[in-house]
Amino acid sequence: MLSIQGLKAVVQGKEILKGIDLEVGAGEIHAIMGPNGAGKSTLANVLAGRENYEVTAGSIQYRGQDLLTLEPEIRAREGVFLAFQYPVEIPGVTNVYLLKAAINAVRKHRGEEELDAVSFLKLIKEKAALVEMKQEFLYRSVNEGFSGGEKKRNEILQMALLEPPLCIMDETDSGLDIDAMKIVAHGVNSLRSPDRSILIVTHYQRLLDYIVPDYIHVLADGKIIRSGDKSLALELEQKGYSWIGKHASAA
Amino acid sequence: MQALPDHLLAPGTGHYIEQFGQLNHCLPGNRDQWSRDQRKTSLARFGKIGFPTQKDEDWRYTPLRPITGKSFDLVTDDPVAADAGKFGIPDLDSYRVIFRDGVLDPNPSDLDQLGGGHIEVQPVSSFLDDGPEARKSGFGEIIGAEEHGFTALNSALFNGGVVMTLQAGAVVDKPIELIFISGRKLAMAQPRNRIVVERGSKMQVVERYVSAGPHPTLTNSATEIVLDEGAEADYYIIQTQAKAAYQVCGVWVRQAAASRFSCRTVTLGGALVRNNLCAELGGADAHCDMYGAYSLSGRQHVDNHTTMIHAARNCTSNELYKGVLDQRSRGVFRGRIKVEPDAQKTDAQQANNTLILSRDAEIDTKPQLEIYADDVKCSHGATIGQMDGQALFYLRSRGIDRQEAESLLTYAFVSDVLGQIEIDSLRRYLEKVLGEQLIHEDEHPGRE
Repeated sequence: MLSIQGLKAVVQGKEILKGIDLEVGAGEIHAIMGPNGAGKSTLANVLAGRENYEVTAGSIQYRGQDLLTLEPEIRAREGVFLAFQYPVEIPGVTNVYLLKAAINAVRKHRGEEELDAVSFLKLIKEKAALVEMKQEFLYRSVNEGFSGGEKKRNEILQMALLEPPLCIMDETDSGLDIDAMKIVAHGVNSLRSPDRSILIVTHYQRLLDYIVPDYIHVLADGKIIRSGDKSLALELEQKGYSWIGKHASAA
Repeated sequence: MQALPDHLLAPGTGHYIEQFGQLNHCLPGNRDQWSRDQRKTSLARFGKIGFPTQKDEDWRYTPLRPITGKSFDLVTDDPVAADAGKFGIPDLDSYRVIFRDGVLDPNPSDLDQLGGGHIEVQPVSSFLDDGPEARKSGFGEIIGAEEHGFTALNSALFNGGVVMTLQAGAVVDKPIELIFISGRKLAMAQPRNRIVVERGSKMQVVERYVSAGPHPTLTNSATEIVLDEGAEADYYIIQTQAKAAYQVCGVWVRQAAASRFSCRTVTLGGALVRNNLCAELGGADAHCDMYGAYSLSGRQHVDNHTTMIHAARNCTSNELYKGVLDQRSRGVFRGRIKVEPDAQKTDAQQANNTLILSRDAEIDTKPQLEIYADDVKCSHGATIGQMDGQALFYLRSRGIDRQEAESLLTYAFVSDVLGQIEIDSLRRYLEKVLGEQLIHEDEHPGRE
């Protein structure tokens, strides 16, 4: 699904990613953990193609394509979805308009017909129920005046609607209370499939109680310093990131 | 008849004074002594004060050379003959009044049918030539507050217009659409209208300015609107003229107690457009809204000059102008709010927000508050910003291409003003025109 090799990236003149190697197979869930400033969000944004994140070395292969040559909108249509850490408020653009434009952009790209209004509304109602989002939110401006939890649920709604092969979740748990986290986790778990890979970027272990990953990687100072299975998260929770830092440098 | 010898005339006025000499015999009201006197007085004033210049504070940011450097010809016969049908807005059911280069076209304008019999409508010619003497004195009574040369020029040389009176308590069932078509090369159109909305009555008026061709034209309009007690009017000024069209658009409003007036000005076309909108809240508990939206590119220049005079207690006003400026376009906003000593409990809000899409675009924005009462609530604010890069990336990351995302965000920026348009067909039409314009601009090779 995704193969990252020797990835280095610079943001505002500062090297943030210092050589990342990561293989994500189809159907797998990987969690990227690490202290603040380690480069977790940078990695997520580089995958989505954010401008001003300059890749200086390495490569990213996504389903046999060189991801770095694709514009952000093409990556999205090819099925790379980033659930934002800070979803953007867009006054004047209704949520339902964005959702319809997004799904039709993907369908058009795949050579499928655009959804008519009736089929779209039926689909969107079903997906909104999945993340327990009230209908009224569909007709409000994108994320405007939404609470932190509502914004994150809106991200998962978009993800559920678009059914992308590669889901990247950037600190989706930040700012969520326990109830909202359960709703978000339920939405994500319902998307688990042998054809879909999920990359979860998180600082804390708690989201991983609800979305259980197959692999965990620890990112510190722009490099993956340790990889393991889900038990690594528990170890981190007990001992903290400083332990792993020392452990890595000792090794 | 000239009041001044030629060498004392203000620069640029000679051509128009000459035209007056040639054409005054066929202008509306030429058979009426009072009207002839009014025109002569105005002409003398125009000859004396001339066109405004950038030395006038009120015109400081709007160079008028593109207008004053040309000699426009007032049209009295043989105006542009375009088919009025092609300027129709889909699904807009309205009473239509057509003007061609400023001249009222009686044929497609069904004046008798207008307003379902609740409105008395007359062309200015018959109003002035044959109307009752007593009512004539009200004609032009409020035009001229903040007078400048263009107002005097219109007063001297208006070539068409209507006088409409909506009877007390009447509600007009559909909008009245005044369509001003410009077309002849270097044509000067100077329509002059008077609208009286009597006590407790209600109407919607859509003024539309369109071009039948690519020629340079000048439209210098003057409209006065009088609202009696409890009257309501929704007024729209929709400017979609061609890129070589020049326009000075004047609307003066006087509101009696508990009346409500709302103006929405949408400017998408024209080379140089100056809008003078002036409302006086003259009776207690009146309310006035002024909304404006503009989207400009190339070297378009649009100057919205508003004046809100609170002259009575307990009135409210709300003003919001939003503009999108691309390429080398330039916007100007002047929002004057005057609160007179008797206007206690005034609540006046004003904002001007601009989205700048190019480093060569410019906005000059100037709020001007003059407050002479002590128990008032007034606020004003101006913001200037660029395309939100975060929002752009967010949309692109959902599969929407850059061009569509940019046009969506641009549209979204002015959407709260367009959302104030209560006539659905008109709003949809403007959304479509704006959308097409934004996409067209993206294909423009000169985009910076």
